[in-house]
Amino acid sequence: MKKKIVASLLVAAMAVSMLAGCGDNKSADTSKEDNSKKEQQEETQKSDDNNSDDDSNADEEQASGEDVTIKLFSNLPDRKNGQGLVEQMIIDEYMEANQNVTIEVEALDEEAYKTKFKAYAMDGMPDVVSIWGQPSFLDEVLDAGVLAELSEDDYADYKFIAGSLEGFKKDGKLYGLPRNTDIQIIYYNQKMFDDNGWTVPATYDEFLTLCGTIKDAGITPVAMDGGDGWPMATFLTDILVKIAGTDYADIISNAISTGDFTAPEIKQATQLLVDSAAAGMFQTGYDSQDYGTTMNLFTNGQAAMYCMGSWDASMALNEDIDAEIRENIRAFTMPTVADGKGGAKDIAAWNGGGYAVSADSAVKEEAIKFLNYMYQPDKLSKYGWENGVGMSAQDQTAYMTGEETELQKQIMNILTEATSVSGTPINDCGPSAFKTAIESEIQGVSNGSTSVDDFLAKIGEACK
Amino acid sequence: MKENGRKVSKVILWIILILVAVIQLFPLIWLVDFSLGSSNEMFTNGLLIIPEKIRWDNYVTAFVDGNFLHYLRNSFLINTLAVVLVVIISIMAGYACQRMRWKLNNFVKTLLLLGMMIPIHATLLPNYKIYNTLNLTDTIWALLIPYVAFSLPQGMFLMTGFIESIPRELEEAAVMDGCGIYRIVFQIITPLLKPSIATVAIMTFLNNWNEFIMASTYLSSPKWKTLPFSVLEFTGEYSSNYAVQFAVMALTAAPAVIVYIILNKHITKGVAMGAVKG
Repeated sequence: MKKKIVASLLVAAMAVSMLAGCGDNKSADTSKEDNSKKEQQEETQKSDDNNSDDDSNADEEQASGEDVTIKLFSNLPDRKNGQGLVEQMIIDEYMEANQNVTIEVEALDEEAYKTKFKAYAMDGMPDVVSIWGQPSFLDEVLDAGVLAELSEDDYADYKFIAGSLEGFKKDGKLYGLPRNTDIQIIYYNQKMFDDNGWTVPATYDEFLTLCGTIKDAGITPVAMDGGDGWPMATFLTDILVKIAGTDYADIISNAISTGDFTAPEIKQATQLLVDSAAAGMFQTGYDSQDYGTTMNLFTNGQAAMYCMGSWDASMALNEDIDAEIRENIRAFTMPTVADGKGGAKDIAAWNGGGYAVSADSAVKEEAIKFLNYMYQPDKLSKYGWENGVGMSAQDQTAYMTGEETELQKQIMNILTEATSVSGTPINDCGPSAFKTAIESEIQGVSNGSTSVDDFLAKIGEACK
Repeated sequence: MKENGRKVSKVILWIILILVAVIQLFPLIWLVDFSLGSSNEMFTNGLLIIPEKIRWDNYVTAFVDGNFLHYLRNSFLINTLAVVLVVIISIMAGYACQRMRWKLNNFVKTLLLLGMMIPIHATLLPNYKIYNTLNLTDTIWALLIPYVAFSLPQGMFLMTGFIESIPRELEEAAVMDGCGIYRIVFQIITPLLKPSIATVAIMTFLNNWNEFIMASTYLSSPKWKTLPFSVLEFTGEYSSNYAVQFAVMALTAAPAVIVYIILNKHITKGVAMGAVKG
């Protein structure tokens, strides 16, 4: 018996010493790891990361005017299409022009990006990061003080659209720059409209009647991505803008700060959304269908209209879509609501995504230099326009080639003719808990499983 | 009469088994089917699509643009190491807690098993902070440590259950013949644990093969990124290249399916025996 106890104690001691041994090995291996990493890095240049090079190292490099490594954390994982391609093009150009600069990209898609962003916010951010100029994202980030202040005067010649920088400011200081202008659009199939003698509605009542007619013809009136929550929230924003006009921003910020969403405008807008859904404006099962499915209803000709942001104007260039549909996609904005304060040219538009520089970046100067390079009007703006990825937050009229699709021109007109733009859509105006609440509750209220009052109470609750 | 009854029941059994097999296999068929179409064909109403043109180039794109080989190498390396570590540690710890008598053996066992109840997401950010302080982020350890740690409780659970079913007389005989403790564990016990080793190995492998959220948080450079990142290379801001993503997923699923087929015989045995005794 005694022997056994002694034996087991010995075993335990052995196990402990083995574990300790493991620990040593581990650290030894890690340094080996770093070495091999550095070697490999020399071999493969830019694509590999040198995370093992710590900040002080990077600092030295900068001081001696030699190699600088800028880390870019991006929300665009696809580097070969769309916005990701534009971003990569500019990066490659910058590295070509500045041989001593290496830009390393780490890209994750939205959910993973936001999770990792939180991790970085605790412990050292990459130098340049993608951000969203919306309170639901930016407020917490700015409170944590992880973003560097930018000097607004530097951007006087960058042709930013008036008001587009507002979302990226706090207490009058600028912390980021917007990349896109997004407009809430209702796309429609011109050919289908002509063939059936339908016309673009001017008022919401006409819109509802039109949807009824289309539904009777056996076609889905509006394809709506209800599965994600946010497209419906932007749709609601659009209705609200037509009802409240330029008061929209005040009404929302007031509601968010008090947690009281019972303002008659919000109530009316929600009621309109509920009535529209009940009248069969959207496809069957819209509240569970995702982005791709919804878009395809429209691009396959199964739906007459499609409600989404202006970024989807690239549909008109997508070779995968049948030419007969692709060439006939046109756009209109939300029709006016009877007795609403918003006119036809008060549109729901906002500047969502953008870039910022990390406050504690060791290569802050270089990072800001790169940021400014990206925002030179002939970079993001021009390349973005040429690649049809949507409208930038800068004046793009200089880059019109005359070969734009009808749809692109139409959307450009909507923006240039607008008498007012709404700013941040409702779901992004509050704290992140509010965003989560409204994007999940809006399905319930639209399909009638929660009442409008309950819905407004619930989203109000999330603000407190 | 009896013959007939037996035949009928056999037919019913077969029908049920085939139905189950179809339900189980359908996702795989669906995956391969969609990976050969174009992104646009994907949204038709039918369950399966008949591609206008079989697009093998989806696989080529997945292979080349998705950095498939690099990610595959990482996935294999990390998973193999994780499986080996989990198996060795769970055998040793399982034996120590189940068969050896020491003061805290039950406490230690419970403590290790408690790990099963900790959700991965709750530990994500604290772990990031720890790894960062230790300078482990973006190294292979940032994945290996959590993969082993989160698979260990399950492994322990199955191992202890199985070890209990091995007759003590075997060990007594071994001790009589002058066997040391390590020889008992590795030469007498381990060979008998084969089915449960297979089970633990396959569970660890499958869980970690598809793991993404930890990998995306703890890694930042492409050096150690694993296969799930390959899918990401084709994710756009608003819409994605679905067909190529399907091809990537088919390629990603293939090794896991192959491993399962190889170890399949042992896994059912291992789970059943471990479960009864556990």
